[in-house]
Amino acid sequence: MILRGIVALLFVTATLQATAPLVIIAPAAPGGGWDQTARVIQRVMAEIEPGTIVQVDNIPGAAGTIGLARFVQSERGNPDALLVTGLVMVSGVITNASPVSLSDATPIARLTGETEVIVVPAASPHQSLGDLLTVFKQDPGSVSWGGGSAGGTDDLLVRLLAEQVGLPASRVNYIAFSGGGAALAAVLGGQVTAAVSGYGEFAGQIAAGQLRPLAISAAERIASIPAPTLRESGVPLDLANWRAIVAPPGLSDAEHDALVARVTRMANSAAWKHALAQNGWDDLFLAGADFRQFLLAEQSRVEAVLQRLAATDAAGPARFAVVVTPTTVPNITVAIFGMLAAGLAISRARGRPSRVPTMAPGTRMAAVLAIALLAQPALMVGAGFIVSSTFLFSVTATAWRGVRPSAVVVAKDLAVGTLFAIVIYVMFTTGLGVALP
Amino acid sequence: MSDLWAGFVVALQPLNLLWGLAGVTLGTAVGVLPGIGPALTVALLLPVTYGLDPTAALIMFAGIYYGAMYGGSTTSILLNTPGESATIVTAIDGHQMARNGRAGAALATAAIGSFVAGTLATLALSLAAPLMVRMALAFGSAEYFSLMVLAFVMVTTLLGGVGSRLAGWVSLMLGLALGSVGIDGLSGQARFTFGIRYLLDGIDPVIVAIGLFAIGETLWVVSRGPDEDQVLPVRGSLWMTREEWRRSWKPWLRGTVIGFPMGALPAGGAELPTLMSYAIEKRLAAAPDEFGHGAIEAVAGPEAANNASAAGTLVPLLTLGLPTSATAAVLLAAFQQFGLQPGPLLFEHEPKLVWGVIASLYVGNAMLLVLNLPLVGLWVKLLSIPRPWLYGGILVMASLGAFSVHRSAGDLVLVAAIGMVGYLLRHIGAPVAPVMIGLILGPAAEQHLRRALSISQGDWMVFVSRPLSATLLVVALAVLVLGVGGRRKLQSSDETQ
Repeated sequence: MILRGIVALLFVTATLQATAPLVIIAPAAPGGGWDQTARVIQRVMAEIEPGTIVQVDNIPGAAGTIGLARFVQSERGNPDALLVTGLVMVSGVITNASPVSLSDATPIARLTGETEVIVVPAASPHQSLGDLLTVFKQDPGSVSWGGGSAGGTDDLLVRLLAEQVGLPASRVNYIAFSGGGAALAAVLGGQVTAAVSGYGEFAGQIAAGQLRPLAISAAERIASIPAPTLRESGVPLDLANWRAIVAPPGLSDAEHDALVARVTRMANSAAWKHALAQNGWDDLFLAGADFRQFLLAEQSRVEAVLQRLAATDAAGPARFAVVVTPTTVPNITVAIFGMLAAGLAISRARGRPSRVPTMAPGTRMAAVLAIALLAQPALMVGAGFIVSSTFLFSVTATAWRGVRPSAVVVAKDLAVGTLFAIVIYVMFTTGLGVALP
Repeated sequence: MSDLWAGFVVALQPLNLLWGLAGVTLGTAVGVLPGIGPALTVALLLPVTYGLDPTAALIMFAGIYYGAMYGGSTTSILLNTPGESATIVTAIDGHQMARNGRAGAALATAAIGSFVAGTLATLALSLAAPLMVRMALAFGSAEYFSLMVLAFVMVTTLLGGVGSRLAGWVSLMLGLALGSVGIDGLSGQARFTFGIRYLLDGIDPVIVAIGLFAIGETLWVVSRGPDEDQVLPVRGSLWMTREEWRRSWKPWLRGTVIGFPMGALPAGGAELPTLMSYAIEKRLAAAPDEFGHGAIEAVAGPEAANNASAAGTLVPLLTLGLPTSATAAVLLAAFQQFGLQPGPLLFEHEPKLVWGVIASLYVGNAMLLVLNLPLVGLWVKLLSIPRPWLYGGILVMASLGAFSVHRSAGDLVLVAAIGMVGYLLRHIGAPVAPVMIGLILGPAAEQHLRRALSISQGDWMVFVSRPLSATLLVVALAVLVLGVGGRRKLQSSDETQ
């Protein structure tokens, strides 16, 4: 009987291992470009490899570098794990001073990309990129460039452009907005001279004639876009906001080749092509050694521009950034906070009648509860959600009553707490799909 | 108007109706229950609504906001412990009415008044929003910065609360400081992270909301020791007499007129308009002596005012992305979770979503009238949950909510620490709402400041040479100088009751 059970168990484990699930890590919160890419891969993979379980995990944070660090450490040698990455991570690694870089992972393939576009409002005097660059070269500060967050693709493109026309990257008056949408408002309102973003963000306004596209950053002209490339405009530069997938380090050559073949099969499938068209992504498929080459080139170009930028920043910020540096406001805030808090403490200490009693009757109970709250995280990880929640529930109830509880009361609290925890656990894990320990 | 009809088409889709119903039901429940409010509820739900359709989720959140305004009055009337800060004033006379055996009428005038005010104010929102959008398109970074300065000044001077004015500023500065933790959006530079990678992404507003409102509040309640309030039974007809109708309808309308613009101002929520409505009703009443002993006007006016102010709050939130109360601040975080930035462009890019949410408010108001009048007995039962278990449950939900944001135990430590800060703030009599406003608006204000300066190439005059920006700054200065006296007057008139 027992023997049969063990055999069955072994069998189950064996089959589970045979069809090891493919894990795709999206190093960003759900909803963004990396997450979308991961979920499209998941869908297509499940379609062309029936029987394979494909799982997407989100590890958001710090331009993807938190996900990258965890991927490189915990998935080492796993041939069934992939990480979605892209140009933003290349610069994120540098700006966040991440201890782990993309070179620590195994390149598999570049998948998609989107071209950038430089626009001016329809009423702008600049008719071509040449016009804009003439003014830019004469007085760099007078041309304000709007775009997405600092260190992102839009920022990079403008800085690379500046270097191409012979200006140091730090002379660029780049105005970072939280996204293409906010930059759109600024350029339409004439608050910035020009704006840079992924083509999709501005496509509607370009078609409506509100924005004039001066150039796109793609290597070759795109039929549907009425603007020349940078190269055609005399600037030898191209840049795409590409997205790719990498595998963990420590794979054997055979495992690496198998993974490349698997991804290539996916990228050639009709389902994938269909998904590309649906999302408006350009097919930038590039696998194996070619992709490794591309990744290295991209890393060195981004690193170079960011490092030159950091070096000039340290030497002395550009003219227009002198007034308020990134640390001005936070430091002033903390200084004021400290002064006010000290002022408050002094005014209280002078014994001004306070309407709040200094020592409430249950302060000790509140302290007990605070300690319980600090113990909770360890309990949650160590003993799981149900145990830790029952504990927290019971301590809170006891603290609220403020008296030493009788055994019956404790038992009741525990029973209600356990029941509540179990109900919540089931509701959230099976109902809402939130994984709890 | 055609936009609004399109919105109704969205709001009346069966699934969206269902989410709306879930929102208003949940909202009424958290309104009824002391210790848990709409800001906390939305914060708790944020991590589990990632996967939802944004329209559905936002319809639900708006329903929670409106619902809490209705539900809070039930607790104020039957328990004398306000379920919400917005219904503190209601408790004064509402509870007296209940003691006099007129609980039914008090609940009725609160619910019907909420419905009348909610519907009228939502109509005002539908009319005002497009106008505001047109104005907001002229807003540049300089104007946004000045507007936020005005918001900071108003929130701290008007919400000073029981503590000193200083305490309000301490809260705000704490919020601003917490907001600047993490990677700076303009330069990509890490600030106040002390080399801890966990802090690079900044401090999540959801974690702060849960810590301040759930954990801080529970610690505070526990520290004051148990108090056993008796729930009064609902006696008397739920239908009002002719006399009570006659005395109610004017306060409803006046409450709406006071509540809507006050909600739209960056004045930090519904406390102020309810207080003002109470003061005005007392001045206009035929028998002011009755106030404090169960005057129906004193329930009708403030209840209308708090619902109208909820609608008013949505005007700057939707059109400018400017939250004027703690709940609005969390709602802004909800929009941002779905990659949506409230502001004039939202009306252009996502008209279906915005107008769908606005239309759902009309529908939600009708649902709430039914939920809160015929079904009031159900909510009263909710009040019989033993307090120790209620707070136990709140803390379990809080830790669950904090954990599910990033599935990290580090967040649990942070949420506990912020909870203790929330307790300290309550201890020194400082309001907590400015922390949320500072946390959410702070980074935006700083970015607008630096952006405006970099566009003007370092010229500070940009804030006063642009007329709109200059006006906003002058108003902020005036509020700072004059508002303090006004608040004192308002408070002393309240305390003479």
